[in-house]
Amino acid sequence: MDQKKPEYFRPALIAGAVAGLLSGLPFFSLFNCVCCLWILGGAAMAVRLLSKDSPGILKPSDGAIVGALTGIVAAVVHTVLTLAFKPDMEATVRQAQEWLSRLGYEMPSNFDSMLERGSAFMSPTWAILGLFVTAAMYAVIGVLGGIIGVSLFGRKTKIQAAPPSAPPPPPSSGPGHEA
Amino acid sequence: MSFPQAQETPAGPSRTVLRVYLLSAVGTVIWLATIFLAPWLAGRGALGASRVVYAVFSPVCHQIPERCFQLQGHPLAVCGRCLGIYAGFAAGLLLYPFLRGFATVKLPSGRLFLLLTLPMALDAVAGILGLWASPIGVRFATGVVWGTILPFFFVAGVADFVKMRKRRAEARALEKATPKNIK
Repeated sequence: MDQKKPEYFRPALIAGAVAGLLSGLPFFSLFNCVCCLWILGGAAMAVRLLSKDSPGILKPSDGAIVGALTGIVAAVVHTVLTLAFKPDMEATVRQAQEWLSRLGYEMPSNFDSMLERGSAFMSPTWAILGLFVTAAMYAVIGVLGGIIGVSLFGRKTKIQAAPPSAPPPPPSSGPGHEA
Repeated sequence: MSFPQAQETPAGPSRTVLRVYLLSAVGTVIWLATIFLAPWLAGRGALGASRVVYAVFSPVCHQIPERCFQLQGHPLAVCGRCLGIYAGFAAGLLLYPFLRGFATVKLPSGRLFLLLTLPMALDAVAGILGLWASPIGVRFATGVVWGTILPFFFVAGVADFVKMRKRRAEARALEKATPKNIK
């Protein structure tokens, strides 16, 4: 009996795009600092989408595959967004810094060096290298998120008990036992 | 003591699980060592190299120095909470053979995962809302608690993936071989 192979790419594309978008947008990306929330959550959501689409029971390997794909898609979207926002990033971050300072929040002591580092590593070469590094990291985190997603959202399997045995056939009626 | 199980797949050769476990352990050691490498390099004056290492970890951590443990006067490459998660992952790997063994592929229950996530989530949310500014030790500890369960997902899931690949490869090989045998 061959179970149909689940369609991994569509849920990974949707969840990865959302996770990458949230990871790449200036304000929302802060939440990624909480244990890569968007990537883990995105991979788990991809599993949720996958479980809705696929008739069979999801296995940990399904979660690993869809999670890895989600992480890679998220890394691509994240890098593209980071490059797209590059010209406005520093100005936006400075504005956010001023706004947060007015609210009484203290900026980290390395704030300027973080901005400087961000600019220094934004050359095309670093961006491509960064894409590979980010893709590898997000893929591993996505694998984890996908497997956790199977545990959370995958259809629960019951330990396969032996099928109920058929009731024993009635004793063959021998001569003298006929009704 | 064992984790309640939510998923179980048929037991296969334990060698696959053992290999995935060992590779995960090696990867975790390298990962943890690299976290300490960044400040060590900075302390020795290799600022360019240390910046690269800090940059490698920047997609996964804010790296705010006030929230990082220090080595030789320089912050580690990740914050205290992230370090706790990775240390917890390493601790979970150490516990893995005793709690799970290598014979079967099982996932912990989602409920247990959510339970262990709770301390870190509460700490993080309270921090974001300004209700509670947790010291770095608490961040580290809640990270350790959460990180400990992660290898039980990771090793089981990746081992299941490797087994699935093997099964498919064997099935393909069988399909290719079958017509020849018929002739």
